[in-house]
Amino acid sequence: MPEAEAIRLAQQGNAPAFERLYRLHNRRVYSLCLRMVSNTAEAEDLTQEAFLQLFRKIATFRGESAFSTWLHRLAVNVVLMRLRKKSGTEASLDEMTEPDEESGGPRRDFGGPDLRLSGSIDRVNLQRAVEQLPPGYKSVFVLHDVQGYEHNEIAKIMECSIGNSKSQLHKARMRLRELLHEALRDKAREDRKAASEGSGGED
Amino acid sequence: MATDRCKDFLGRLDSWIAGERPAEAKAHFRDCASCQAVVEDLNAIQIEARSWRQLESEAPERVWTALRAQLEQEGLIRAEQPEREAAPVASSLADWLSAVFARIPRPALAGAYLSILVALGFALSGPVNQPSNEAKWLEGTRVVSSPISAQLDNFEQNTSLANRDRNPAITASLHQNLAIVDNYISLCEKSVQEEPENEVARDYLYSAYKQKADLLAQIGERGENVQ
Repeated sequence: MPEAEAIRLAQQGNAPAFERLYRLHNRRVYSLCLRMVSNTAEAEDLTQEAFLQLFRKIATFRGESAFSTWLHRLAVNVVLMRLRKKSGTEASLDEMTEPDEESGGPRRDFGGPDLRLSGSIDRVNLQRAVEQLPPGYKSVFVLHDVQGYEHNEIAKIMECSIGNSKSQLHKARMRLRELLHEALRDKAREDRKAASEGSGGED
Repeated sequence: MATDRCKDFLGRLDSWIAGERPAEAKAHFRDCASCQAVVEDLNAIQIEARSWRQLESEAPERVWTALRAQLEQEGLIRAEQPEREAAPVASSLADWLSAVFARIPRPALAGAYLSILVALGFALSGPVNQPSNEAKWLEGTRVVSSPISAQLDNFEQNTSLANRDRNPAITASLHQNLAIVDNYISLCEKSVQEEPENEVARDYLYSAYKQKADLLAQIGERGENVQ
């Protein structure tokens, strides 16, 4: 069943059409949720919530935007609402970034040539760094760099300008770089400590 | 060391990454190790992030099961009528229960069992004060309770099998608790056979079946959550 037909039938309450839409899109929505919250149980819950909201509102879908964009907008909102609830803040989506950051420029040092990340980034430490990003940065980073959306699509999903999407992505990447450098420095420090303790123990 | 030129360069980093190479930026990049490091790092981050796309997986099937149940509950989707009409008509209570249990999801079993037990409750609360009704009532009790007892045993086996490999602690606890309830059921059944007119004995039997049903339904739900 093609997507357009599934949408039309789902609008009439057809059960197989709902399932078809779910099967077509659940992978991307679930992955988005998982990257945003880093917890499978919570990601499942959020995926269910996003589709539930979608199916509740499907009768109002008129096709002005792509169905997947509409669904992703719902999913991102569901995730951000959850993160907002968790942090106990009532901030708007725009405020879900780092308030002290004024420009897209880096906040601290740029990292010397002795501290390049190349070769030291893996899935685990990047995921850890992503977890520490403010929700707004995280959304744009996951949508663009992980899921491959273009800025014009992200602007529709996040209901912001294309410039805003670009700016958020830049800040997200720079912040990730900082976090990864911090992790690298911590690890180097721990290694040195372990080495000195090891050599001390042999004496 | 960061300079104003570095800030300018990094301010237009998106364009640089996208392939735009203005002469001024190019010259700065060639001479600035700091900006080279930034570009190199961001490229590494992007490459790693892109690789995550291959790790995308479907949401577990339970998400759809729960979602569908919610949609049906809210009346947003119509049930699949043709499929239900095609279901075979059960000829006996036991067959009917098998058909029902085979089709309904496990989390719904608690409710289903309770419905059966309500029916059993009605059957067990028939008139018993008249001696002429005793034999008839006892026979009726057997007819009603035997298939339910068999169904509970059958479901117990399925639940036990389903949970066995997942969590040995649950399996052990399951057997321990079920053994207690089964002993209780045996005692109650014996009491009802000895004193079919005793309303308290029937109430205890009903309560024992209910306990077993509740326990099995809880275990079933727990097994579903573990998956």
